[in-house]
Amino acid sequence: MGEKQPNPGELLRDTLDMLILQALKHRPLHGYAIAELIEQTSEEVLRVEEGALYPALHRLELRGWLASEWGTSENKRRAKYYRLTAAGRKQLVEEAAHWSRMAAAIARVMETA
Amino acid sequence: MSPWLTKMGLRVKALFQRRRLDRDLEDELSFHLAMREEKLKASGLPPEEATYASRRRFGNRPSLQETCREMWTFVWLENLWQDIRYTLRMMGKNPGFTAVVIVTLGLGIGASTAVFSVVDPLLFRRLPYPQDQQLVSVGYLGPVDNNEFNVASSYFDWRQAETPFQSLTAMRAGGSCDMMVSDTPRRIACQSVTGNFLQTFGIAPILGRDFNAEDDRPHAPAVALLSYGFWQRAFGGDTKVLGKTLTVDEESVQVIGVLPNTFEMPQLGDVDVMLPARLDASLPRSANSSFFLRTFARLRDGVSIEQARERMGPIFAASVAKDVPPELRSEARLMVRSLRDRQIHEVKLASWMLLGSVLALLFAACTNVANLLLARAAARRQELAMRAALGAGRARLMRQTLTESLILGLLGGAAGCGTAWVLLRICISLAPEGLLRLDHARIDLRVLVFALAGTLAAALLFGMAPALERPQAEALAGWHAGGTTRTFFRQALVTVQVAISLILLTGASLMLRSLWKLQSQPLGFEPEHVVTASFTLRHHRYRPPQAQVQFFDELEERLKRIPGGGTFALSDSIPPRGSMGRPYSNLRIAAHPPVAPDGGMVEFRWVTPGYFRALGIPIGAGRAFEENERASGESPLILSATLARRLFGNESPIGQQLDLEDSGHWCPIVGIAADIKNNGLTQPSDPEYYRLRMHNSEHLGSSAVAVFRTPLDPATLARWVRKEFAALDPSLPVTIETLGERVDRFRERPRFVATLVGVFAALGLLLAAVGLYGVLSFLVARQTREIGVRMAIGARPVDIALEIQKHAGVWTTVGVGVGLVGSFALARTIRGLLFEVSPSDPLSLLAAAGVLVVTAALAAWIPSYRASRIDPVIALRSE
Repeated sequence: MGEKQPNPGELLRDTLDMLILQALKHRPLHGYAIAELIEQTSEEVLRVEEGALYPALHRLELRGWLASEWGTSENKRRAKYYRLTAAGRKQLVEEAAHWSRMAAAIARVMETA
Repeated sequence: MSPWLTKMGLRVKALFQRRRLDRDLEDELSFHLAMREEKLKASGLPPEEATYASRRRFGNRPSLQETCREMWTFVWLENLWQDIRYTLRMMGKNPGFTAVVIVTLGLGIGASTAVFSVVDPLLFRRLPYPQDQQLVSVGYLGPVDNNEFNVASSYFDWRQAETPFQSLTAMRAGGSCDMMVSDTPRRIACQSVTGNFLQTFGIAPILGRDFNAEDDRPHAPAVALLSYGFWQRAFGGDTKVLGKTLTVDEESVQVIGVLPNTFEMPQLGDVDVMLPARLDASLPRSANSSFFLRTFARLRDGVSIEQARERMGPIFAASVAKDVPPELRSEARLMVRSLRDRQIHEVKLASWMLLGSVLALLFAACTNVANLLLARAAARRQELAMRAALGAGRARLMRQTLTESLILGLLGGAAGCGTAWVLLRICISLAPEGLLRLDHARIDLRVLVFALAGTLAAALLFGMAPALERPQAEALAGWHAGGTTRTFFRQALVTVQVAISLILLTGASLMLRSLWKLQSQPLGFEPEHVVTASFTLRHHRYRPPQAQVQFFDELEERLKRIPGGGTFALSDSIPPRGSMGRPYSNLRIAAHPPVAPDGGMVEFRWVTPGYFRALGIPIGAGRAFEENERASGESPLILSATLARRLFGNESPIGQQLDLEDSGHWCPIVGIAADIKNNGLTQPSDPEYYRLRMHNSEHLGSSAVAVFRTPLDPATLARWVRKEFAALDPSLPVTIETLGERVDRFRERPRFVATLVGVFAALGLLLAAVGLYGVLSFLVARQTREIGVRMAIGARPVDIALEIQKHAGVWTTVGVGVGLVGSFALARTIRGLLFEVSPSDPLSLLAAAGVLVVTAALAAWIPSYRASRIDPVIALRSE
């Protein structure tokens, strides 16, 4: 209920989840920073829509993979920081492994075909 | 912690911090926007542009906020809350509709639950014995008694014979004895049973031991079991009572055990002390064949009552040949019936009648609710269409109507519980003593649930109707398209209601007419100004006959002297009850051939000379008894008119001689008294003769009734009478009541049943009227435009009103037709409850139909009047 389907062309939900987890691997971040990080790291190839980002963050938090706390941002504003929980870290490892397997497989298909 | 639990935990937490959740979401998204705006500004965009660009990129913020919010909260819970508030608001807006639905449901649920609670212990609840369906009552059925009985000699034979019973047991018919409880004599309920009695019923004492074969031998040392209640009352529940010795009817009896709290006698008699019957099979057969018993048995496994009756046939026939006097044989029948039937035989039909009528009422209530909800559904199509147009999904609309129906149903159910409780209290206070087991009646949860479920189902089914239909855009405009099928359905519902209510009304009018006949039938005596005082002497104190005679003589002297006591008489029994009758065929007329052998029973009473004057029984021929005859050796006799006619035909009985018991003792007939009711009020009277109470008679029983025809106020006389009794025997309990009260007790049960059925019929009628009114009002509301047009082109108000009435007339007529057929069918089943009224009594049927038609016309009048007053200008402009 209420979990909207992402529009075609945008990041798939599972992929977005993985990217969020990855973004938080080293330190806690707020939502805006996560979006920026993904965009910058991907050299602006991946664009994170707010309409997908926040539901994803809340979904992951409810699932227990993220935890959140309120802190003060670099420009002295009240911001909600997300960090990985132990379960989230485990999930990231799994998804990353799955992803590399898939990517390698797809790459192999694309190269040979 | 499992992920699911984590999630629930977070969500529940959010539930309690809703405000914070909202604020955090708001802050989080604002923060994001602000950050983006700053970045855009830093990249050189003008501030205003930056704001717009960041917002554009962000998309629909409220929707996003809503999406996140829903993740955290229990959406359905919030929706439910919203629906409930909406429903309550709607109810507040339509208090009339709400009240009618709730009252209807309340009455339906309440009445059916209350009545079921009353009849359930009679008809359905298990009897308190293991494998109760195997227990039967078995014995002779004859004109002597309403219930089957047995005699000791036959009982002994049956125990030897190969019967379909795994166990046959007996108890003595009588039941009270005197016991010394801490030096004061008390009259207690004693039951004498054979040794295997408790075993047969599968009951074991909770304390001590059961009777054994030794205890039940003739002349064995007396032992007793105490009932739980008596043990508590008389001994405070002391376990040391075992082994104690009691004095029961001047015999020393040792207590050997205590019966369980739940134990009840199979014939529902009171029991304080249970004794072994100690029957003596060695006595001559003639002695044992006049020893009355009640016999009960447990069927062998797998044997049905019909099979048992069949197999008992030959055994019974053999016993009849041995134990029943030849002249009575034709009237002795075998009775084998379930213990439940034995217990409730008199109220069985009445119970079913009440249950049937209340279920009809429940059905009518459901129909009414369905009808009302359908009417409202039709009225709300516009609203639903509007809401659908505004974006409400069908599931959401359905959920909302469901909530509304549920709330209505639950409120109705709550009203029903309250009503049931009140009605049950009223029932218990109204019910006559004869309606058994009323102390067992309690609000039955199963019934309540059943009634609730029924009405809820009706509410849901019909409340959902508008939501099931796809909301149509046309409905928005207020046009009513395609509603005809539902109107037809609603008309059918009204017709059904009319039919049900006619059946209820017929039942009620039959019962009332029968009650009226019962009230107004001639009794043969005049109960006005007659006060009676009845008493039973204690066995032990008046054991020698001389003591009894002396007591009665002295009592007579004292009571006669009461100033203003009026006409006084003493009798051993009093109408409308009879005495223990004697076979008619025992009578012999001097110098006449023997009487016909199949004459049924003859009642008789021992009375003092004042009896006929005191009761106002006219002496048709000859004379009443005279005081001076009481000392003479003669045995003068007065016959009832019917008996005289049967014995002597046209011949004059006065001066003839009668031998009453085939004993060679001839009694001269001195007078003929008018017939009186002597067999209850509903049964035809038996013939009767009167014997004079002698001063030295040894026939006097221990029970007697003093009768006064007095101008005094009954309470005043009662005080005098009690004083005189107290002077003679202070410990003797005396019951004083007017003869009117005694007679009235025989009408209590029919009155109770008639009252309840009458109330149900009235409620059914009311429901039918409401239903009719509702449908017609709805029809008028829907046709407002059409009526307006017709009036604009010249129709008169009378035509319009008549047209509406015609609708009502059609449904009512169909309903009455169906109802009459139903009434005919059902009235036959209650034949046994009617007194001198035929089940197809035309007057009752006419009265019921008349009341119904008039009510229907009244219910139809308001909407038809409203229709005739429709102003065409307003009607046409309204849309």
